Amino acid sequence: METYTYVNIFETKGLEYLLLISFLVLFVFLVRYLSTPAHKR
Amino acid sequence: MTQSPTGLSAEVRRVLRFVVSELWPKGPLLTPFNLISVPVILLGIGILVVRFIYGLGAVTNLSQSYPWGLWIGFDVVTGVAFAGGAYVLTFVVYVMRVEKYHPIVRATVLNGLLAYMFYAGALVLDLGRPWNAPNPIIGNSFGYNSVLFLVCWHFMLYMMAEVVEFSPVVAEWLGLKRLRNILSSLTLAAVIFGVTLSMLHQAGLAALFLMAKPKIHPLWYSEFMPILFLVSSIYSGLSMVILEGTISHRVFSNQLDAAKHHQFDDMLLGLGKGAAITMFVYYFFKALVFLHDRQWNLLGSGWGAWYLFEVLGCVLVPCVMYIVAVRTRSTGLLRVAAIWALIGILLNRLNTSVFVFNWQSAHHYYPSWQEIVVTLTVVFVEIWAFRWIVLRMPVLREAHQLPHPESPVVAATA
Repeated sequence: METYTYVNIFETKGLEYLLLISFLVLFVFLVRYLSTPAHKR
Repeated sequence: MTQSPTGLSAEVRRVLRFVVSELWPKGPLLTPFNLISVPVILLGIGILVVRFIYGLGAVTNLSQSYPWGLWIGFDVVTGVAFAGGAYVLTFVVYVMRVEKYHPIVRATVLNGLLAYMFYAGALVLDLGRPWNAPNPIIGNSFGYNSVLFLVCWHFMLYMMAEVVEFSPVVAEWLGLKRLRNILSSLTLAAVIFGVTLSMLHQAGLAALFLMAKPKIHPLWYSEFMPILFLVSSIYSGLSMVILEGTISHRVFSNQLDAAKHHQFDDMLLGLGKGAAITMFVYYFFKALVFLHDRQWNLLGSGWGAWYLFEVLGCVLVPCVMYIVAVRTRSTGLLRVAAIWALIGILLNRLNTSVFVFNWQSAHHYYPSWQEIVVTLTVVFVEIWAFRWIVLRMPVLREAHQLPHPESPVVAATA
């Protein structure tokens, strides 16, 4: 019988959820970062 | 108001006289580009004659194992991604009404139109039986079950949409004001139609490879390939607009007025911002697909290193370069990022269609020198057509800066 642990993020989709949440947070920061007025060289 | 037959024939004669007068070369003939491109084009035409007389095997390294090579991998699969700037920019300008990019929209549409005409046209070169090419159109054998049926119709309809988008420029060039107004009124509909088609066939090109799952390395194969191709075509198109705009800005600088020169850097930085955000989204999708398919064990091989080079070296690195360039307003870095991103797209498309195709096979495909020459021929002829049009039509300059068809200079040639 195969064992399946709900806390293993490699077996569940935990890693994908973590990636998605990280992406959404980073995406907001990226857009804000690119939208703020930049200093001219 | 209707025109009398006499007036109409006089108008037709005037337009014909003007077109004939415009056929003569403008500018010096002995330029470095001409000296390089003309021999390559002549050689390419000769190779194509041999190809159509003796078949594909006479000039290519294609075989039953590798029926698609450089002509499909570069001209069609990569060329269509490079041409993505037209649908992105027309959407931004005509649908979202971001007028800031209006000065470059005509050049971008022209570039997209020519890319589709030449690159999709190059598809005919790769058909073993090119005389069957009209079948999906005339109904002799539609081939509904083939993804190529969708791609064929999308290419054809999208080219028509781009012709409509570009047609006001031709009408302005010919001095046909009423026709220009009629054609301009069709632009928005053509743009919406074109954007829909373009998004579908950018993804459709990847769908061609979905049926070749056993032949494509698992690091590159995914059921999400159509989405990846679509998202990457957005930043590919934007990068191409940055590169092509930079080259046009320098080569045809005499056609731009001072105000456009001033706006140009701002436009480039805005496009760079769009490219950076899209690349970030694409990178996330690639990471998600990688995790979803649980491909950790594949990274240890040489193919794994090649995959990491493509994803990290040619997506993440230019993405960071775009971000830095936008923040520091460095247009130099922006151009390097655009070139790098385009190399990444080239690598991704060639990986999918050529390099990792049949990756388990003992025999590998390498393009013959004739295939490379024909590919260069297609690119050079497209550049010649682009230059011919830009030097004559109001693509970069305003219509009032053109020699009017009824001007004394033109009339004297009659």
